[in-house]
Amino acid sequence: MQHAGVDLAKVPALRFERSAGYWETVLRRFGRDRLALFAALVILALLGLALFGGWLAPADPYATSMLKRLKPIGFAGHPLGTDELGRDMLTRLMVGTRLSLFMGITPVVLAFVAGSVLGVVAGYAGGPLNTVIMRTVDVFYAFPSVLLAIALSGALGAGITNSLISLTIVFIPPIARVAESVTTQVRNRDFVEAARASGANAFTIVRVHVLGNVLSPIFVYATSLIAVSMILASGLSFLGLGVRPPEPEWGLMLNTLRTAIYAQPWVAALPGAMIFITSIAFNLLSDGLRSAMDIKS
Amino acid sequence: MLTYLLRRVLYALPIMLGVALVCFALVHIAPGDPLVSILPPDASADLQAQLRELYGFNKPLPVQFAGWVWRALHGDLGTSIASGRAVGTEVLRAVGNTLMLAAVATLIGFFFGSLFGFVAGYFRNSWVDRTASLLSVLGVSVPHYWLGMVLVIVFSSQLMWLPASGAGPGGSGEWVWDLEHVQFLILPAITMSVIPMGIIARTVRALVADILGQEFIVGLRAKGLTHLGVFAHVVKNAAPTALAVMGLQLGYLLGGSILIETVFSWPGTGFLLNSAIFQRDLPLLQGTILVLAMFFVVLNLVVDVVQTLLDPRIARA
Amino acid sequence: MNSVVPKMRGLCGAIAAAVLALSSTGALAQEKTLRIAMTAADIPRTLGQPDQGFEGNRFTGIPMYDSLTQWDLSKADAASVLIPGLATSWAVDAKDKTKWVFKLRPGVKFHDGSELNADAVVWNARKVLDKDAPQFDASQVGVTASRMPTLRSAKKIDNLTVELTTSEPDSFLPINLTNLFMASPTHWEAKLKAVPASVTDPAERAKQAWTAFAADASGSGPFKMTKFVPRERLELAANKTYWDAKRVPKIDKVVMIPMPEANSRTAALLSGQVDWIEAPAPDAVPQITQRGFKLYTNAQPHVWPWQLSFAPGSPWLDIKVRHAANLCVDREGLKTMLGGMMAVPKGTVPPGHPWWGNPKFDIKYDVKAAQALMTQAGYSAAKPMKVKVQVSASGSGQMQPLPMNEFVQQSLKQCYIDVQLDVIEWNTLFTNWRKGVKDPSANGSDAINVSFAAMDPFFAMVRFVSTKTFPPVSNNWGYYGTPELDGLIADARTSFDDKSRDVALAKLHARIVEESPFIWIAHDVGPRAMSAKVKNVVQPRSWFIDIATMTMD
Repeated sequence: MQHAGVDLAKVPALRFERSAGYWETVLRRFGRDRLALFAALVILALLGLALFGGWLAPADPYATSMLKRLKPIGFAGHPLGTDELGRDMLTRLMVGTRLSLFMGITPVVLAFVAGSVLGVVAGYAGGPLNTVIMRTVDVFYAFPSVLLAIALSGALGAGITNSLISLTIVFIPPIARVAESVTTQVRNRDFVEAARASGANAFTIVRVHVLGNVLSPIFVYATSLIAVSMILASGLSFLGLGVRPPEPEWGLMLNTLRTAIYAQPWVAALPGAMIFITSIAFNLLSDGLRSAMDIKS
Repeated sequence: MLTYLLRRVLYALPIMLGVALVCFALVHIAPGDPLVSILPPDASADLQAQLRELYGFNKPLPVQFAGWVWRALHGDLGTSIASGRAVGTEVLRAVGNTLMLAAVATLIGFFFGSLFGFVAGYFRNSWVDRTASLLSVLGVSVPHYWLGMVLVIVFSSQLMWLPASGAGPGGSGEWVWDLEHVQFLILPAITMSVIPMGIIARTVRALVADILGQEFIVGLRAKGLTHLGVFAHVVKNAAPTALAVMGLQLGYLLGGSILIETVFSWPGTGFLLNSAIFQRDLPLLQGTILVLAMFFVVLNLVVDVVQTLLDPRIARA
Repeated sequence: MNSVVPKMRGLCGAIAAAVLALSSTGALAQEKTLRIAMTAADIPRTLGQPDQGFEGNRFTGIPMYDSLTQWDLSKADAASVLIPGLATSWAVDAKDKTKWVFKLRPGVKFHDGSELNADAVVWNARKVLDKDAPQFDASQVGVTASRMPTLRSAKKIDNLTVELTTSEPDSFLPINLTNLFMASPTHWEAKLKAVPASVTDPAERAKQAWTAFAADASGSGPFKMTKFVPRERLELAANKTYWDAKRVPKIDKVVMIPMPEANSRTAALLSGQVDWIEAPAPDAVPQITQRGFKLYTNAQPHVWPWQLSFAPGSPWLDIKVRHAANLCVDREGLKTMLGGMMAVPKGTVPPGHPWWGNPKFDIKYDVKAAQALMTQAGYSAAKPMKVKVQVSASGSGQMQPLPMNEFVQQSLKQCYIDVQLDVIEWNTLFTNWRKGVKDPSANGSDAINVSFAAMDPFFAMVRFVSTKTFPPVSNNWGYYGTPELDGLIADARTSFDDKSRDVALAKLHARIVEESPFIWIAHDVGPRAMSAKVKNVVQPRSWFIDIATMTMD
């Protein structure tokens, strides 16, 4: 499984001999991995913020005040300072969790679904169908992801929906390639041959034998893309594409605050810190999952 | 083997055509007038129609596409609308500058990435592994263009150790590999190297862990192979994939340099793309994206072929 | 030594400093070099008709070239008015008001040594007006013809006299001619000859000649081009034989570098890499001034408005609402938010300007009066007026569009106006502006936020209020116009005496303010930051600034 180009270090090895305690073992191994557990907790906290941030936040994320522009951390009434329009940073960071995670997770989820379908179909069917699907995927894969994201966003225009579309399109090719690769390996295994010989139809075979084996490695690979997606989304707003103001979103905040770096460097760095924490958490989680699933007999 | 190689090369051709098509489509879907860079908004409708005809934008899209591809095959990528200069020359010069930056960045990333990755893989599942893995992941967890801005503020504005932008005191045309010029390369290259570093570290770690975990290593050790011998063995087995990943990271940096080059005003393909996007300069946009994508296709092809030559088991269906 | 000498510490620094010292040429130690960082992403076109808007004219127009008439850039405390340039005098023909006679200044030479005479002027007019001229360049037509919409042809009368013909009587012509720069025909012809014979199509030969000319230009301005690296730097040297003794440069060399990213420009200034940056980020200004650099600002003929829709069904059709909105914007508050980097408008031009005209509607911040007007118009806090504005996230002249528009949105809320912002990309906004509010690209908006230059009457006023400038002809995006205003415009257009023309334009301006087809929000102040080493800097009330009169320590 040595496809260069896709970060295969993020894809766990396929396991075919599924004993009864496989998932229990994985979970137990994961539980012993302190760093991965910590990452999982951080992510749960972030998801909590995303769901309840609106209620928990101390102030109105849209309330501006030009008298209180760019106040430092520890300012009265604004523990994390204020931004370039006088809005409370703590509130915007909390409420921004929702949109930021949304921009990170949604494209990956959509790409996971679309890419897996394409890859599994191509991998299982083989032959000309495989060629057509994979060659089309390769055409898009030929564009470096940053370039493709910017070109698509530039073509579609700014805005959340358009960014989601362009980011999803950017992630489909790598996921499809991984999906096709693992499916091809499964397809050639004996038990699949046996199932085909016994007359089961393709749909059943895929559902019963293939999916169970391939979805987990693809899933773990996909989680490693979440951090990339968040950072790409932030890059889009740097160029004026992507999320539009005044929505609180960390990438957008990082960009609108960038000229304030001279006036209030720590405040301007806060959204970057949030992106940083979230990315590391997802990267560690994904690493932990992959490690836990790499059980050597 | 030869048939596989031939097939692989042939497969690249329809992909190249597909790339050209997607590139053209992307650029033309964008709203906005392609002549906006030379036509202020107060121009009369007659003037607009006149210029549109002179530049061939009134022809149907498939005709424009065919014409563009035909000329590109002959090496003519058209002329930039905003500047009147040939796209080919500009892109080539820009590619040279970005290649210089990307190569240095990849080397830095490869060096540190391999270091961290090897250490992590060798001492896998220990705290050393965790620390090294964490360090290598730091780089890919922050928007790198923002990291670049922070570095500029610290090292240029505050400490005044390094210049803030540009490709040399006299421009990139007179580049010389001396300190006076290389100092312009340092900050952008370091900023760019964090992503390859992260990815290469992870790959090398996985490779090293994989190789060391194989049974024959135990056998070799039992036979009395020294640590150095094991090290050499690991390097020999890991090198092909690691180098392949490095090669592809170079391609990725080449195509993804737009944000960093904007921050550092580095006159490469990213900087070119930025102003092409801003000025809606269609020929320049198309030409640059096409060259970058083709480069990537060829790079992918070369890496696949080299990998297959080194390890025939890898051959794709 | 004028190259970068960063402060260094430690062994590494010492070695670096030694290398630098060895590699620098001692002979240039006395040469004064001014390094400028521009906001443009590429060097504006250098062949005579710059692109990139007025930043182009500022850096690759006026320094390198001259025009028949020019703006007086020597005063900071008075309006910048028109003065003779290459033409010493001009007059319209008494009988046929479409003909103008311009008398040229004798003894002016181009950088390549050839004479600047009537032939050269006619040649330059033909490069954008005459499709059959060998030197015709379509790419230059856009930026020139649109700024001189009525100019039709030029004719030589004698070696130093030119006759210009317009399509209709147009008293604005002398002002428009500040946009036509004179490139050297002799030098261009040499470039044309140098185009390889394998290129046979005359249009293609001309195009290549112009491209070669852009890389090695020859104008008549106070500076001449010495080096051109596309997208990276433009180097100019002083023209010591310039025809205006007062404007012979005392700075030997000027380097211009494109730096579109505001933080990069600030860093470049602070680290000593450049001496002058355009448009520093307002929040970086305290740091910049703290470190000893100087900030120059002055009110500019620049208007940052919301242009209102007069299409059927628009909420702005009621004048009470238009006046209310103008009374409901906290402009001083906005100025504080921008760190003082804006001027508070009273109309399109400021009081004291020749075209001011004393309008009876006073634009100020009076929430009570605004609320009263809105109530009269039938709105209230419970039943607000809903409007949608198209804005951009960035763009030349747009200042800080997002914070500013959000600020105005908040301000107007007090007067029962609910604003929805439609943020689109700058180029798209520009294009939509040309298409007008009735075009689907307007996306249901009732106002558009596009800033504009107000240096000449057509650009400042006429194109927004005439029934003859509805889209797609020009930028009357909102389809505003009345017979009364058309009459005032015609008056101004046919008043060929400078004084009476200004009086007519003042009447027009007063009526425009009274009718309020705009919400006037700000004037840009053109901030630029420079090293204290640059002296004799005069920032006039203009988009342009004269580098030729500056000196450097």
